[in-house]
Amino acid sequence: MSFQTGMAPARAMDNDSDVEEEALVADYREQVQYEGGGMDDFDHPSVAQQAEEFQSRLVQAAQPLDFQATLETKFASYDNYCAVFHHILNSEGPVDLKAPSHYWAWDALDEFLYQFNTFSSYRARIARQANNEEEAQILRDNPNTWGCYSVLNVLYSLIQKSQIVEQLAATKRNEDPMAVAGPYGQKEMYRMLGYFSIIGLLRVHCLLGDFSLALKTLDDIELNKKAMFARVMAAHFTTYYYVGFSYMMMRRYADAIRMFSHILVYVSRTKNFQKNTQYDSITKKNDQMLALIAICVAFHPTRLDDTIHTALREKYGDQLLKLQRGGPDSLPVFEELFKIACPKFISPVPPDFEKPESNIDPVDHHLSVFMDEVKTNMWSPTVKSYLRLYTTMDLKKLAGFLDVQPEELRSWLLVSKQRTKQLRWADNGHNGLLEGELVNISDLDYALQGDLIHISEAKMGRKLVDWYLRNLSRTYA
Amino acid sequence: MSGEDPQERPEQIRNIINGLERYNPQAAEVLEAYLQQQCEEKFCDGNANRALLKLYQLNPDRIKDEVITNILVKAMTQFPSPGFDLCLHLLSPSHSNPGPNSASDLSEAVSKLRALNLQLEGAQYAPFWATLDSDDIYADLTTDIAGFEEMIRLRIAQLLSQAYREVQTSVLEGWLGLDGEEEVKKFVVETCGWKMAEEGIVQIPKNADNEAKKTEIREDVTIDMFSRVIKRSWEDSA
Repeated sequence: MSFQTGMAPARAMDNDSDVEEEALVADYREQVQYEGGGMDDFDHPSVAQQAEEFQSRLVQAAQPLDFQATLETKFASYDNYCAVFHHILNSEGPVDLKAPSHYWAWDALDEFLYQFNTFSSYRARIARQANNEEEAQILRDNPNTWGCYSVLNVLYSLIQKSQIVEQLAATKRNEDPMAVAGPYGQKEMYRMLGYFSIIGLLRVHCLLGDFSLALKTLDDIELNKKAMFARVMAAHFTTYYYVGFSYMMMRRYADAIRMFSHILVYVSRTKNFQKNTQYDSITKKNDQMLALIAICVAFHPTRLDDTIHTALREKYGDQLLKLQRGGPDSLPVFEELFKIACPKFISPVPPDFEKPESNIDPVDHHLSVFMDEVKTNMWSPTVKSYLRLYTTMDLKKLAGFLDVQPEELRSWLLVSKQRTKQLRWADNGHNGLLEGELVNISDLDYALQGDLIHISEAKMGRKLVDWYLRNLSRTYA
Repeated sequence: MSGEDPQERPEQIRNIINGLERYNPQAAEVLEAYLQQQCEEKFCDGNANRALLKLYQLNPDRIKDEVITNILVKAMTQFPSPGFDLCLHLLSPSHSNPGPNSASDLSEAVSKLRALNLQLEGAQYAPFWATLDSDDIYADLTTDIAGFEEMIRLRIAQLLSQAYREVQTSVLEGWLGLDGEEEVKKFVVETCGWKMAEEGIVQIPKNADNEAKKTEIREDVTIDMFSRVIKRSWEDSA
């Protein structure tokens, strides 16, 4: 699907003559270039002007919008993105872009999606609060500005133009990606835009609550240190945050912990080389991921990397303790941490301005669904802590200890047992993130013979390799 | 996960959900027909059904209430799994949380199904059958799904076999939603292939999950773990 057909944003195509003019000029510019046989095309005054103007648009596309930007500025910024992407996608042939900065492609797409995210949240808030009729009217009149279809369209078009999926597949097969890159994808700028659009899709799907599609989006990207996203710290970080979060929402806690741990360890190892400004922006996400790890560990107790464990105890020590204890007291803590750490979910369609009370905050919606599973599991820590003390136990006796009915305890035992099976991703180079094998993740196992519970605990052999390696490297250093 | 990507999925559906066609509002009709097929032929395609919910999410004017509830009931039959929750995440908040002023038939139906699903996820099987029986609305909501009760019953039996070696028929009767000991016996012997031991006790054959065997987890040590150390000592001495 290209930008012209299908779901082209109405504003860019219909009401914005600037954009079309821009495309015409770009066409013209290329013709001049062609006829001139490589002659400097900047000697044509209006073309030079246009090029300069476009260059400033590029710069603007990667600039953060002021926190208190007016609605007008937000609309203008959207128009600017439309113009930029329209030019990049719809000019005749690939455009020669002079990227204003080294990682412009990431910065621009990151800012594009951030503005889409904040705009959608803002629009929903205006509708919910219903106390700003003037802005509500403007938003009502322009339902397609920062529309979800337009944003998805930009990302998919960039992916398609750059043939990035084909390129990545070729790289996986150890073939030359340039052979399948096509005229656009051979250019570094298109390749980067295409690549980071895949990461962008991961983010947008996650923001819309489509967690399985979010993970599926990354099918073509290999998660390793050689991946292109790893070269840009912010991209690296964003990718793992959304992948980890999606895993958590799919109840694949072992995988989620693995993703969060990977990136947090990476950050802690590189923080000395990070420039301060960059590091500051990472600190917030860092804390969010620690909160998510706390949630995942509560669902799936496991040994964490020492660095992370220390950081977790420092930052969320009290909360972690409550989560691990389970029961009704843990519920507010789950809610608190989820709210701190979740993405700012959005709704893909404009809110209903006529019925303010019908516009529930998407964050609350996703939280309430998530809490269903939390509540289902909240007795598991209690049950397990008792079971650990025995090798056999009578169900009615245990029910007495816990002060519940035997029927209820039977349910708890079944829930706890069923949740020890989890899909876990195996990284063998060609598995998609959604794939995995069903493994038993708990060291505690039990089976029932009528009302008699047989319990067995897996003995953990000591893990020495990690300890050995750490001390070895300490001695070396 | 067979309920997520079943073998029955035809080529046409595969093309829709793996390509950009999944955003084409017209694809909704094809996916709706496919859901109908799933309901009749007793299989479940979670990914295809969520692609349909996604289309509804982006094009609310196309929403058909009974399609949404059928998808939810289908997802419910896969318990315990995140499938049902993943569907809820794709619904508009106003559809899954009936507010005081916005209660619609759809939001009421969704909240009913949500409560039902919670009981299955929470292994409260006896209360589940009681809830199902308590209101005619459940019969309406599950009527399109062929063999709904049978699928749930089989799934419960399968899950029990993963936790139990022996179980009392009195407990089974409630969990399987059956009437009387005779029905229970018939079901466990004929459908599940379990044995009646002494009076009132059903014996479930051994399997990997109901043994609770003692294991020791050892650390696997491979040479790769030491590659950096070895490389470094090599470089240092060179």
